[in-house]
Amino acid sequence: MFNQFGSTAETLSKASAAVLRIGTDAHLYDDPEDVNIAPLLDSKFESEKCEALKRLLALIAQGFDVSNFFPQVVKNVASQSSEVKKLVYLYLLHYAEKRPNEALLSINYFQKDLGDPNPLVRAWALRTMAGIRLHVIAPLALAAVGKCARDPAVYVRKCAANALPKLHDLRLEEHAPAIEELVGILLNDHSPGVVGAAAAAFTSICPNNFSLIGKNYKKLCQILPDVEEWGQILLIGTLLRYVVARHGLVRESLMLSLHGLESNGFYEKDGLVRDKGDGDKSDSFDANLVSLVSKSYIEGPDEYLSRSNGVDTVAASFDSKETTSIGDNEDVKILLQCTSPLLWSNNSAVVLAAAGVQWIMAPLEDVKKIVKPLLFLLRSSTASKYVVLCNILVFAKAVPSLFAPHFEDFFICSSDAYQVKAHKLEMLSLIATTSSISSILREFEDYIKDPDRRFAADTVAAIGLCAKRLPEIPTACLNGLLALVRQESFAGDLELVDGEAGVLVQAVMSIQTIIERDPLSHEKVIIQLFRSLDSVKVAAARATIIWMVGVYCSLGHIIPKMLTTITKYLAWSFKSEASETKLQILNTAAKVLISAEVEDFQMLKKIVLYVLELGECDLNYDVRDRTRFLKKMLSYKLACHEPAEDSVASQENIAEHVVEHVFGRKLKPFSPLNLHNRFYLPGSLSQIVLHAAPGYEPLPKPCSFVFEEHDQLSDSDRQREAMSGLNGSQESSETVDEDGSSEYDSESYNGSDLSSDGDERNDATDSADPLIQFSDIAVSTDQEELRSKRALDLWLDEESSTSNQTPSALDRNQSSYAKISIGDIGSRVKPKSYTLLDPGNGNGVKIDYTFLSEVSTVSPLHVCVEVLFQNSSTEPIVEVSLEDEEAMNVSDSAEQTLVGKANASYNNVPTLIPMEELSCLEPGQSAKRLIQVRFHHHLLPMRLSLHYNGKKVPVKLRPDLGYLVKPFSITIEEFLATESRLPGMFEYSRRCTFTDHIKDTRMENGKDKFLTICESITLKVLSNSNLHLVSVDLPVASTLEDATGLRLRFSSKILSSEIPLLITITVQGKCNEDLNLTVKINCEETVFGLNLLNRIANFMVETSSSAI
Amino acid sequence: MEEATGRRSNLPIRSEREREQYRSSMLQCIFLLSDSGEVMLEKQLTGHRVDRSICAWFWDQADSFKSLPVIASPTHYLFQIVRDGITFLACTQVEMPPLMAIEFLCRVADVLSDYLGGLNEDLVKDNFIIVYELLDEMIDNGFPLTTEPNILREMIAPPNLVSKMLSVVTGNASNIYGEVQMSSQLTGFPDLTLSFANPSVLEDMRFHPCVRFRPWESHQVLSFVPPDGQFKLMSYRVKKLKNTPLYVKPQITSDSGTCRVSVLVGIRSDPGKTIESITFSFQLPHCVSSADLSSNHGTVTILSNKTCTWTIGRIPSDKTPCLSGTLALETGLERLHVYPTFKVGFKIMGIALSGLRIEKLDLKTIPPRLYKGFRAQTRSGEFDVRL
Repeated sequence: MFNQFGSTAETLSKASAAVLRIGTDAHLYDDPEDVNIAPLLDSKFESEKCEALKRLLALIAQGFDVSNFFPQVVKNVASQSSEVKKLVYLYLLHYAEKRPNEALLSINYFQKDLGDPNPLVRAWALRTMAGIRLHVIAPLALAAVGKCARDPAVYVRKCAANALPKLHDLRLEEHAPAIEELVGILLNDHSPGVVGAAAAAFTSICPNNFSLIGKNYKKLCQILPDVEEWGQILLIGTLLRYVVARHGLVRESLMLSLHGLESNGFYEKDGLVRDKGDGDKSDSFDANLVSLVSKSYIEGPDEYLSRSNGVDTVAASFDSKETTSIGDNEDVKILLQCTSPLLWSNNSAVVLAAAGVQWIMAPLEDVKKIVKPLLFLLRSSTASKYVVLCNILVFAKAVPSLFAPHFEDFFICSSDAYQVKAHKLEMLSLIATTSSISSILREFEDYIKDPDRRFAADTVAAIGLCAKRLPEIPTACLNGLLALVRQESFAGDLELVDGEAGVLVQAVMSIQTIIERDPLSHEKVIIQLFRSLDSVKVAAARATIIWMVGVYCSLGHIIPKMLTTITKYLAWSFKSEASETKLQILNTAAKVLISAEVEDFQMLKKIVLYVLELGECDLNYDVRDRTRFLKKMLSYKLACHEPAEDSVASQENIAEHVVEHVFGRKLKPFSPLNLHNRFYLPGSLSQIVLHAAPGYEPLPKPCSFVFEEHDQLSDSDRQREAMSGLNGSQESSETVDEDGSSEYDSESYNGSDLSSDGDERNDATDSADPLIQFSDIAVSTDQEELRSKRALDLWLDEESSTSNQTPSALDRNQSSYAKISIGDIGSRVKPKSYTLLDPGNGNGVKIDYTFLSEVSTVSPLHVCVEVLFQNSSTEPIVEVSLEDEEAMNVSDSAEQTLVGKANASYNNVPTLIPMEELSCLEPGQSAKRLIQVRFHHHLLPMRLSLHYNGKKVPVKLRPDLGYLVKPFSITIEEFLATESRLPGMFEYSRRCTFTDHIKDTRMENGKDKFLTICESITLKVLSNSNLHLVSVDLPVASTLEDATGLRLRFSSKILSSEIPLLITITVQGKCNEDLNLTVKINCEETVFGLNLLNRIANFMVETSSSAI
Repeated sequence: MEEATGRRSNLPIRSEREREQYRSSMLQCIFLLSDSGEVMLEKQLTGHRVDRSICAWFWDQADSFKSLPVIASPTHYLFQIVRDGITFLACTQVEMPPLMAIEFLCRVADVLSDYLGGLNEDLVKDNFIIVYELLDEMIDNGFPLTTEPNILREMIAPPNLVSKMLSVVTGNASNIYGEVQMSSQLTGFPDLTLSFANPSVLEDMRFHPCVRFRPWESHQVLSFVPPDGQFKLMSYRVKKLKNTPLYVKPQITSDSGTCRVSVLVGIRSDPGKTIESITFSFQLPHCVSSADLSSNHGTVTILSNKTCTWTIGRIPSDKTPCLSGTLALETGLERLHVYPTFKVGFKIMGIALSGLRIEKLDLKTIPPRLYKGFRAQTRSGEFDVRL
């Protein structure tokens, strides 16, 4: 119908936009998959990689799952181009949780980036690393955060603060103290930018650890104005909670006004506009509400309201011990001082937070300074306007006089959203005073003409509220409303226009609210309404008017005279009414009959009987039910002839009482204190949605936090110490960097296993301080990452030259080792055996298995396993065999990809080369058999079924990572060359302790200590894995007791893929004490390598029972 | 009120332990929705991934509920702002200051429209990589990271299509809302002091974070070290503007199904400079079935959504612009019972209606080749005329 208004402007702008889109990424977004993405990712050109990544991001943006590209994308993390790197980071963060194994591939690269001279690169690396959220890397990430928390660049420290909640999110209990410690350090930072982020971390990690705040309280207050806006929002809240927890509420504040001061005196004394006309009643209502508000803030409204169950306990006062006075409390004073300039902030959230502090803590006379800043916020965006209004409404409910002079600010603009309009109306009706009401009503008159009829209806309701609050003005209102009722009812066919009915209903209801206050003086109005019944067509409005007929039927002199006519009219119109109106007619009929005068009684009785008859045959069952009910109840009335006739029967008396009670009752005034008032802290989400959002916490219990000066001292001391230690270590790292030289322990980086660092802690001067431990790791990490590939070469050269300088020492060592020889040690190697079936589960059959170092004859993928069967029962066991439980050739494709592609040609080989069947095993007898197994996955056990005595028992054969490799015999030169080709992301290391040699040394006192150590380490390694020992290096300037610098190298190839895997173990510590080992692995198969690394670190720590 | 309380039971998080679990992150996800409800972009911010089905739920809500800036959905709390037809939707599951989320979304919208030279569906889609990069830089783990446009500009290069607009002072009928925009290209750390000739006219103000609060409290001078580039130094409010510079006299009479409309626009009090870009718009009431409007000056367009816009430009010296014509009401309606509100827009170059005057701008260290300049401009804010 509005085609004539159609405009081409929109289509034109679309067309011109299409022209402009050339040269942007538009085509990537529109058709991300029009080319094959996979080859692009492997391209050698950065631009093609970039395009591929952009296409992937486009797919992510459109909600597709492209996580299958993960392995390919992760590879590109090593790219030199920062654009590619950034895009990879974006992708990685999106999917890291889904693909943890592959995400691990990137860790080393981040570690390297953490040492980049560009702070942006460091920050990105930290953010991404912490954002990956894998438990495995949490210790690494924590160490990285610890290091970045001391970074010289503010931006990096800020990112460190932001990373803390990410780590906290992983719920690693053992790291919680370390994380909180870091929060404390960052809160103490001298840069405001960092403090802001730290405040956010504090809020989300340990919002109730007030001792962290207590230490820095004054400093935090001073720095607050300079903190970034976002940090300010949270820091303000934190400081407020701290002060309440420490000192309690302020006696002079609004919150405690009921208890401390004469509330009446305050209003007059401070010149706040007080509506005298309201009298004492409304004043006490305010005080009650204020008290309710303050109780809600402290206890949370849900708890408070459910417990107090009404108004009675509102007046219960706070314990005076739990309050403080602004006069003698420095902390409160500072808080108020530092937050009040923030009322001028550009950010509405900051202003509201600051206003919240003033509202709760400021002395009564100062609360009004929040008014203008809050009103200013009404100028901000539509969305924030709404939130601000919700909060202002709470303030105004408690103290309407605050906002009363500013009523003009709540006048409505046509561009306001409907909700904002509704809130403004509520606000206006709350704060209207005798002086402002005339202007407000003039505004309202305009609003009623607004095309949005829902808004117009709300306006009419607001008029009713105003008139109720201010008894002086109803006459003006009433005339307007009556005129409206008349106009609305004449405004043609109302059904045509949406919402028109609502206005009329509201008008009638508003009139009713006004009349309710003093029905007698409004008799004429009531009569006018009754007269308009015929023209009012809207059912709800009619129902209200009809209800009024019933309520006011005995009012004054004129109405009772009209009753017969009105009732006749109602009876006449009954048939054509809506159900809701019919119900009201029935009720009204009953009421009219009860209060009928003598002369009208007979007539009315007839009419009522007629109405009841009609009602009984109504189509609506509600109406029928109501009719029957009323008929029964009124039977005594309908039976008698005179209204005042005394009933004899007592039963009828009761009925009369009931009827009187139900219908004759006078209206009770509506309680103004609405229990649906739920108050949450100003500026909170809960206040907007009106329920406690998860994580909402009311203010802490006043004075719940006891602050210990002593604590503060020692803590700050400790921190200073830590900082000085940190500065020292930073310096040292710099010097190392400059020299370009490196020590042996530069390799001992990576505190991946913090729990095993106990010894290190002992080395530190302050054993109680874990910070030292962090900085230590941080330094070594630094060195590791600063070492470029060239530096590595340099370092290797250097090392070889040093070994050349002392050939005798090395030679002696190597030659002495040669004497032991691999074969020699081989005889002492006792491979660990695992239990496949214990006698308890197997009716006396005990089966153990041991991995053999032999290479399988079937295929390179198979591992030889020796199975030892023992019969510990008293009866012979027959026909024992092991078989693959799953079908031979069926293997999950996903698992296969993990094993690698190289083995594709062996897919046809069965996963288990079965053993020769044991025909019979006598009691006490044992037998060995050899099986060859191809594991699907290097971590997942293989399901086998054991057959014996005709039974079948499922068993699980667990792979030992140490035997999924085979010895790879290379020379030391080849080893070093291979190692240099596998830097950065292909290199990972872990620390562990080693104790086996201590027993050993004691036992064989005569032997060379170094030799013993080398032997025991080698033995341990070879007993648990299938490796080739390449070389043993001895430190140059070592004393006889110090084994630091001893280095063993092993080499191997991964069975499945033939990829070389190099292991270097570096020793640190005294010969006679526990040794710290750093195990380093270089391997292209990062996931396998990492897993093996963990395996090695684990078995090195185990005290072996098989030590010589 | 009741409705919102009832919805609470649907929220999945109940126990203390679970609460604990969700506390660590603020905003969990940001979605950009086109004007047809299509999700153009999603940016997950934390480990607690938010499924985009929430957008479909949101879009299906009834209009009055959907337009709420803060919504409690069965699974998440949603914050939204709408800018140029694009909905910025952010989700959280925990208590957090709602204004923080809203302010942040506004900031995102500002930065995006600054970077992309406007905001619309195509611009966002065409530059989605930049949008991603910006979002990634602006928020980290649900907490804002870098939001200062000047710093962002250094980190992420904008695409080559930036157009700018300078506005200095905007006015409103009874209140004046004003802004002091500042564009600074000074090297080093210039320490500036700006003083006003008549600071007392300022009713209330807001400052850019670079402004120091103390000097303002004691002497009403603005002391600050400006960031490079353009920024909003302060915004303020001046009360009780006596007269608007324009008058608008609308007349609507209706009888037997048709309505006669005539609107006169003229200059009430000459501000001393030309009033430019005068526009006049109003929404035709629903009950109008067709309209025939014309003017003696400027152009009149009526869009399909019943918005009538009259572009006047400058007021000619020889005649008073007048819009006149008839509206036909829908059948059955005799007379118009609702009246539209007329919105008026205008601009005055070279003058601030508030009367606020800048006295001087001092620099502590004076660099060579210094250029200082002021420009004032008045633009109408919310100028509503009712019948």
